[in-house]
Amino acid sequence: MSRLSDDKLREIVARFPTTRDEDWKYTDLSQARDIASRWLDEKPATAASALQDDAAAITSTIDAAWLVIADGVLQTTQAPDGVSVDRVDDIPVGDSALAEFNAALVRDGIRIRVSGQVERPIGLLLLDSAEQTSVAQAYVEVEFQNGASGELIEYHVSRGDADQYANTIVTLHVSDAAIASHVRIQDRGRNHLQTSKTRVSLGKDARFSSASFDLGGGMVRNDIDIDIANTGAEVSFDGLYLAGDGQHLDNHTRVDHRVGPATSRQEYRGILNGRCRCVWNGKAIVHEGADGTDADQANHNLLLSEKAEIDAKPELEIYTDDVKCSHGTTVGQLDETALFYLRTRGLDRTAAMQVLTHAFAAGLVSRVPVEAARGAVSALIERRLEELAVTIEEDPS
Amino acid sequence: MATETEQLESLVNRRYEHGFVTDIATESLPPGLDEDVVRAISARKNEPEWLLEWRLQAYRQWLEMEEPEWAHVHYPKIDYNAISYFAAPKSDEDRPKSLDEVDPKLLETYDKLGIPLHERARLAGVAVDAVFDSVSVATTFKEKLSEAGVIFCSFSEAVVEHPELVKKYLGSVVPRRDNFFAALNSAVFSDGSFVYIPKGVRCPMELSTYFRINAANTGQFERTLVVADEGSYVSYLEGCTAPMRDENQLHAAVVELVAMEDAEIKYSTVQNWYPGDEEGKGGIYNFVTKRGDCRGANSKISWTQVETGSAITWKYPSCLLRGANSVGEFYSVAVTNNLQQADTGTKMIHIGPNTSSTIVSKGISAGRAQQAYRGLVKVMPQAKGARNHTQCDSLLIGKDCGAHTFPYMEIRNPSAKVEHEATTSKISANQLFYCRQRGISEEDAVNMIVNGFCKEVFKELPMEFAVEAQALLNVSLEGAVG
Repeated sequence: MSRLSDDKLREIVARFPTTRDEDWKYTDLSQARDIASRWLDEKPATAASALQDDAAAITSTIDAAWLVIADGVLQTTQAPDGVSVDRVDDIPVGDSALAEFNAALVRDGIRIRVSGQVERPIGLLLLDSAEQTSVAQAYVEVEFQNGASGELIEYHVSRGDADQYANTIVTLHVSDAAIASHVRIQDRGRNHLQTSKTRVSLGKDARFSSASFDLGGGMVRNDIDIDIANTGAEVSFDGLYLAGDGQHLDNHTRVDHRVGPATSRQEYRGILNGRCRCVWNGKAIVHEGADGTDADQANHNLLLSEKAEIDAKPELEIYTDDVKCSHGTTVGQLDETALFYLRTRGLDRTAAMQVLTHAFAAGLVSRVPVEAARGAVSALIERRLEELAVTIEEDPS
Repeated sequence: MATETEQLESLVNRRYEHGFVTDIATESLPPGLDEDVVRAISARKNEPEWLLEWRLQAYRQWLEMEEPEWAHVHYPKIDYNAISYFAAPKSDEDRPKSLDEVDPKLLETYDKLGIPLHERARLAGVAVDAVFDSVSVATTFKEKLSEAGVIFCSFSEAVVEHPELVKKYLGSVVPRRDNFFAALNSAVFSDGSFVYIPKGVRCPMELSTYFRINAANTGQFERTLVVADEGSYVSYLEGCTAPMRDENQLHAAVVELVAMEDAEIKYSTVQNWYPGDEEGKGGIYNFVTKRGDCRGANSKISWTQVETGSAITWKYPSCLLRGANSVGEFYSVAVTNNLQQADTGTKMIHIGPNTSSTIVSKGISAGRAQQAYRGLVKVMPQAKGARNHTQCDSLLIGKDCGAHTFPYMEIRNPSAKVEHEATTSKISANQLFYCRQRGISEEDAVNMIVNGFCKEVFKELPMEFAVEAQALLNVSLEGAVG
């Protein structure tokens, strides 16, 4: 299955980033390295995936044309008109150890092309069974062709009790005057690890809106790199991370403004409860000559437990003067006055907290760019906030 | 716009006013660094054995360390063996007892800089411990200070006269091996200032040191230690200008502040060392470690800095907020022009309960300069009720400059309230138009806007310093916007 020898794979694993790399200062991949090594030692035979029921249950929550990739294998392909789906034979080797690892091991890499106005959202369910120690790779390329518009839902789920490390690479190209809407839902097992890299490039006057929700996962690291090399591009992306006991959720974003005028805005919000750690690192780079750039970053965090840690770093690198850039970051807790107000209205503390945490997340939910996914996202968040409220009750801060 | 641009260029291109070389023979060590050099420095200063040992340990630790490369600055590799580590004015052996004995050429230098030492000291009520190259040559108002029990002297003097204090506090805030440049300083520091404010004393005047680098190829390694004992208050001013020359000069200073219970230290800096010429030739490399330790409850340390000089600035005045309710502040205006590079900011480490910190950083970047704000706000798990507000704004002037922000926030307590805001922009055409429409010239309008941009920081400076800071800002940038 591997395109490389075990020795070569081991060599790649040894080059995984460490906390000595500035970009990985807060996220330690040694557990992922460990799972990858153990998997290389054991190389368990992959059983045929038995996740049909799970897949059906999940895909029924959102009305979309679903492509299901179960344990790395493309299962169903119902492509709506204007959308083509192909397997990728020529996966680029990649420019980092994680990308090389992906390229060497990915089973069904897929390429989706969207042309014209596609009404029905394209759903992409990446489902891993994790019955035994395993590494899972996913490779997806999506091209929104000139003037096309379409919606993409990326849904990551894992089951099973065994250790698993998933490594995902998604490339989105939004061509000239195309409009792409994207939702990413990550609801993996609390014992599973994931690194994911999303690369977005934009053509002239292209528009990209995205919302990303991290609800599950044990250790999750998301990198989203957005490259604006054509004028008139408009980018707007949000992220919400809800972390409870034992979770480590890291979001790194990078926007390269190479030309102007173009705008980018991002807003990430996090709610942390229990022993957990979240990282948000937003980087906007305005290159020389990118005049007329308007870049805005916001990150807000609710820290609800003594054992939670947030590491936030909004970075701006600006190499020209005709720009408008700003960022704002806050770390705080629920407003005692608001809590008190709700309690005077007869809500108990937990219910009041739920109302307030829900409100904190609601702004992002209402902006989910794929209408069809909004209900499902809202329900998932509701469920997760309830889970988090239980910890709140045990650990009133 | 054409005339505006010309006008702006003429202002931006203004030459460094304070560039000249004072021709005083200096008695320097030959370039190079090894244990013998460390011993020689120590011997020249008649230091006790323990201090020599301290230096040697620092030197050995330094040898094992690597020069940091994470800062957003670029410069050719420094050859630490091409630098002479000690330069002292000729008069080192018999130091002048009063101003009259000071080398008149030296006084002339101060005159050129617009700081006639005695005049200024008397009129402004400022005691000046002038550091010319590496050895203190004049200290004024000593008696008045000693009446209050305040110790304000050169570091070498303190080693001789107050060894117990120096031994107790030296390296207690910035350990020898804290970082590459601090270790280097610990090994070869030449001189600096020492301040001790006894319990309950409010220092009767602003204390000030005028730094000045003179001899070519001589790195300057100052060491400043300010200790404010329980319930005391001191305001310390540090300012510097340097003569023009082509060789890069290395400066690696260490400043340590200790504030005990209820004590307050206000540390203000105006830094205007030679920034290099329009082509980036020459200029000072300024790698400074400044840290304050709020050791006692209710203590406060406030850093205010106006940074307009140096080819490269690398400094992060920081506060360790250990005592309950202690307060840390950082107010900064940094101006970079031509090919200057600055990577500066602060660290606020919240350790004690109910500690609070404020960071206001204003960066102005023009020409082809690159400037970065790099800051850390860290709230430890035990720092209940910690509070931080950070504001960092950048003003860009011209197409070829850069302004960058790297703020780190590491929060580990749920009762912490931490806010960070930053903006980057240029002076808007609307703002300028509005002012001009009111009959204000382009130059004055830009001045007003830039001064307004920096006001929050300037108002933190002692008055006489604020005036100087504004003048400096005008020299560096005045009207450089279109």
